[in-house]
Amino acid sequence: MRTATFSSIPRGLTILLTAAAVLAPLLLILYQSFLTAPFFDARKTVGIGAYEFIFADPDFWHASLNSVVIATCMVIIAVPLGGVLAFVMERTDLPGKRWIEPLILVPSFVSPMVLAFGFVVAAGPVGFYTVWVTEIFGGAPWGIYSLTAIGIIAGLLHVPNVYVYASAALKSLGSDVEEAARVAGASPFRVAATVSLPLIMPAMLFAAVLVFFLGFELFGLPLVLGDPEGHLVLSTYLYKLTNKLGTPSYHLMAAVAICIVAVTFPLVLLQRYLLQNSRKYATIKGKAGRMRELPLGKWKWVAAGLIGLWLFVGVIVPLSGITLRAFVSNWGYGAKLSEVFTLEHFQSVFDEPILVRAIWNTVLIGTVGGAIAVACYCAIGFATHRRNDGWSRFVDYLVLVPRAIPGLLAGLAFLWVFLFFPPLQPLRTTIFSMWLAYTVVWLAYGMRLISSSLMQVSTELEEAARTVGATRGQISRQITLPLIKHGLIASWLLVFMIFEREYSTGVYLLAPGTEVIGAQLVSLWQGGAIDVVAALSLINVVLVGVGLALALRFGVKLRD
Amino acid sequence: MPELTVDDLHLTYGDNPILKGVSLTLNRGEVVSLLGPSGSGKTTLLRAVAGLETPHKGAIRIGDKAVFDGAAGTDIPAEGRNLGLVFQSYALWPHKTVFDNVAYGLKLRKIGHDEVKTRVTTALEQLSLGHLGERFPHQLSGGQQQRVALARALVYNPPVILLDEPLSNLDAKLREEARAWLRELIIRMQLSALCVTHDQSEALAMSDRILLLNNGRIEQQGTPQEMYGNPESLFTADFMGSNNKLTGRVLEVRDGAALIEGDGWKLWGTARQSAKAGSDGTAMIRLERIRLFDGPGENRLEAGLTTSMYLGDKWEHLFALGEARLRAYGDKPIAAGRHWLDVPRESLWVF
Amino acid sequence: MFQRCLCIAFALFGSVAMAQTTPPGYPADYAQTIAAANKEGKVVIYSALDTKAAQPLIKDFNALYPGIKVEYSDLNSTELYNRFIAESASGQGSADVMWSSAMDLQVKLVDEGHALAYLSPEAGKLPTWAVYRNQAYGTTYEPAVFIYNKRLVTADEVPQDHASFAKLINTKVDKFKGKVTTYDIEKSGVGFMIMVQDAKYFAGMKELEQGFGASSYRVYGSTGNMLEKVSSGEHLLGYNVLGSYALVRAKKDQALGVVLPKDYTLVLSRVLFIGKQAKNPNAAKLWTDYILSQRGQKLIGSDVELFSIRNDVDAEYTAASLNKQLGANNVKPIPVSAEIVTYLDQKKRLDFLNAFKATLASGAAGR
Repeated sequence: MRTATFSSIPRGLTILLTAAAVLAPLLLILYQSFLTAPFFDARKTVGIGAYEFIFADPDFWHASLNSVVIATCMVIIAVPLGGVLAFVMERTDLPGKRWIEPLILVPSFVSPMVLAFGFVVAAGPVGFYTVWVTEIFGGAPWGIYSLTAIGIIAGLLHVPNVYVYASAALKSLGSDVEEAARVAGASPFRVAATVSLPLIMPAMLFAAVLVFFLGFELFGLPLVLGDPEGHLVLSTYLYKLTNKLGTPSYHLMAAVAICIVAVTFPLVLLQRYLLQNSRKYATIKGKAGRMRELPLGKWKWVAAGLIGLWLFVGVIVPLSGITLRAFVSNWGYGAKLSEVFTLEHFQSVFDEPILVRAIWNTVLIGTVGGAIAVACYCAIGFATHRRNDGWSRFVDYLVLVPRAIPGLLAGLAFLWVFLFFPPLQPLRTTIFSMWLAYTVVWLAYGMRLISSSLMQVSTELEEAARTVGATRGQISRQITLPLIKHGLIASWLLVFMIFEREYSTGVYLLAPGTEVIGAQLVSLWQGGAIDVVAALSLINVVLVGVGLALALRFGVKLRD
Repeated sequence: MPELTVDDLHLTYGDNPILKGVSLTLNRGEVVSLLGPSGSGKTTLLRAVAGLETPHKGAIRIGDKAVFDGAAGTDIPAEGRNLGLVFQSYALWPHKTVFDNVAYGLKLRKIGHDEVKTRVTTALEQLSLGHLGERFPHQLSGGQQQRVALARALVYNPPVILLDEPLSNLDAKLREEARAWLRELIIRMQLSALCVTHDQSEALAMSDRILLLNNGRIEQQGTPQEMYGNPESLFTADFMGSNNKLTGRVLEVRDGAALIEGDGWKLWGTARQSAKAGSDGTAMIRLERIRLFDGPGENRLEAGLTTSMYLGDKWEHLFALGEARLRAYGDKPIAAGRHWLDVPRESLWVF
Repeated sequence: MFQRCLCIAFALFGSVAMAQTTPPGYPADYAQTIAAANKEGKVVIYSALDTKAAQPLIKDFNALYPGIKVEYSDLNSTELYNRFIAESASGQGSADVMWSSAMDLQVKLVDEGHALAYLSPEAGKLPTWAVYRNQAYGTTYEPAVFIYNKRLVTADEVPQDHASFAKLINTKVDKFKGKVTTYDIEKSGVGFMIMVQDAKYFAGMKELEQGFGASSYRVYGSTGNMLEKVSSGEHLLGYNVLGSYALVRAKKDQALGVVLPKDYTLVLSRVLFIGKQAKNPNAAKLWTDYILSQRGQKLIGSDVELFSIRNDVDAEYTAASLNKQLGANNVKPIPVSAEIVTYLDQKKRLDFLNAFKATLASGAAGR
């Protein structure tokens, strides 16, 4: 085995910078959690007071319990639905699959803030749909502010996360193993129950852990929907601590963040372990080839209806709500939509230089920023590509770390870094600070995109270049990079959409010059500028929509 | 001086030893084949020579230059070894044209634009690819791709060219033509080639020398004729060619001959090293050495015909002798019933 | 086009001329401050008032001092504070002017020595309670009001004072269950501060809090959310809402009704001070004086739609008009004083919060 040495300076530099960008904020948070005041305050002392405080605070325990309840709810709902959806989409003759596929993934590309807000105006106690239904039937049998409701909505919105893994697993499961079972005499449903599903079990388990873990990081949804009835989850509890004591309680927030990381990081590691296991399963895949689609018969319409219902609830209701709200001056019982129609909200958005800058910055961070982010992910990818040494393993784990830190806190930590690390100070009020935080927070996602592209390059193509005399650097530039070009463009589009959607990371980094729509939405929502929130949300959805349309146009696979 | 010397090479994947002390030499203008069943380590050995695997012990020298020396800690990376390697999959870069695929090695060597052009053109002409320079790999047939891969490996005149299962990706018909063409090319260009294959007929046809690997060690090496005609071990004998195998007990070993007895038969053959009187042994004879007769004689076996298979240029007959099964070639169909199989003493090896 | 250019030219000419003259009643050396401020060329303002609302002030200030660029950022009041202390600690310098409705946090910053001592020439025109240690100034006069949904709350139900509000939510529990809203005093510093003042002035506070509990009241972090929810009918009544915002929205929104409580109306004042580390102290002084001046206050009372704190201003929204409408004795301004930082002490704050919650719970349990 090769010894663990840096074989090149660029590689060492890449690893060093990555480690700094990932670990500096985390260590800062850890340090802050053991202080009694902001770390820059001269009166701070070291101690575990912060932990004592939050552990003694009943709200913390309520929030923890709520997080567990919601996360569990999400697993119970999203995993079976996602699995069934994947089976129906991959293995049956459901009509219109080509159209349904991109729609299924929409919830994962729209900001939860926007969706949550959409639910309030569409299905809240006086939402558009609630009012219509009440006018027709005299009552609407739903509420969206209870803990269960939040859990159900969150579950429905995370179906795509499960779907993506389940359908990928089903795809890689060659049709030959299923055909073998058919030939041996098993009915299609028996094949599903005894062959297909057991074989994709590892992927389902992986997705379950993923969803549970996302449940712990949920922020936008409980922020908006949990407000009226005062349901806190860990991330909104953390956010509330900004003000609970009148002055900012960074030490308490850091302590909560460490508690969240203590739950999420083991989950991330578990996920990694499961992924490796499911890859083992995947190696038994058979020949690629289209399996004969399972005829659904009259069940076809039931399946289509259920998918339609889910899409209606998860996508159409909130998005139509937000669209309507963006064009009316007030709403609720007694408001006639034709009378309250207005374009004023968009006028306000475009009249306000900050919001215009936010839109511009959001576009910029998605396009240019997304491209640079992909370039960075690519550099990191190359630093570990085809190297099985200690540094590669270190980077493998390193890129998982940001996944475990809630974006909200990562953003705060980056603010500190930019405030107190002199070389970065001049960049704090530029969009660069936001970009760096985004890039680090989405590191794990980006690296997955890049490494799946890299994995598609056959080892032999690179070895062939080595034997004709190319060095690692030359291979990376002249062979591998051109080969993954298409994959990189696809990654860029996906990162674009993720960056357009991102909201929590920017909350604390928001400053004159760094405005982005996502964070601006949180801030405006807190400030209660609902008109502007609606208009800006719609603009955000349109931006994501443009990305989505481009992605579909260029045949980008919307999942990694 | 040999172009390539491998000396006592050891290589391990984790706890799993792949090469357990392999040595070989390759002289100028010589084609050496590494032959062996899958898992014998032949491809690993080739990749270790190329620098794509790192051994933990032993030495590899190209000419007089050590490219790997476990004791001295020398390990020149693949790109520094100046070897040509043709991959089993060809590994042509799909984003480069044929011309650029071939030119890449020259460009890496900082050779001037004009010279690159001349040399690539020459190489492509030599391999009858002259008109395909502007094409992309996916626009070529399998045989053409193979030749591009070869041109790519040859264009910078490496002292040794390494071929990993060069013919296995071609379909059966093309394979035989390509084999002849490749042998001719190697001779014409006076290449020194190390070639991995699992197909014994390919090895026999292509090579000046064959190294048979078994489980990380060299079982036997020699010219194709030696390997086929004078195998030292049962493994070698069994691996090279189509054989009849009979197990029994060695009764007697005398003057290089051995008498072996089985269930209802007794034969004289040449004694190999492992044959010991009084112990269990195996008798082996190539299918093509058996001749059929209508009556008994010395060193003949009487067996019943089970069935016959028509192979086009000949017939293959299947016989049953107690529990044992025997096969023999014939030039015509034969009647059902008893037949006598003549086993020449000098052609039967007793192990 | 030509006309427009001409206008700008005149405006420029006029304002340059004005900038050179010391405003009447100002000390003679004020011209030097103006000159120094022009040299600084800009003023950085952190404010809790959103940019859009502040636009008339910025424009007018620019007309007055065209050489000074206003870099205005709006942040919510807590963020404002966080950012200011973090930036100050990092030594990079922070805002020149801090202008926030979180009166307690502003006073705390002054007490901790973050403010530059500056006696504005306009200070004498302000009520004495609005001037703090010659460092911080109350700039507005914003009442805390009740709001209600006009479509769904009948005229006779609309509470006119604190006692009737408490009575209404305690008696008509069925109608108002889940329909009453106020600030989340854990999330909003402003909300907390007003609630503390209520405890001081309103004898029926306990009944009110129990009423909140009984009607399972809903809480939000900002006035905007409360306005939205009451306007839409999701909630019916809002308590302690910032009157300036409510009145603005009520003008356009037929569904929204606003009540200035008759028994007493609390008044908040946005507090402004100049940062001690200000890089543009002179420009900051000009901004401070401008905001406090009659000219600035007139805009605050009209286009900006806050309430002017000065008595000598003639505009739609002024302290004078409010006092006249409610009776000067019934208007209770929260003074810019050391007293308001009492509840920034962690223990006192938590005690207040816990007592508040306990009363809520008893109210909820009573039903």
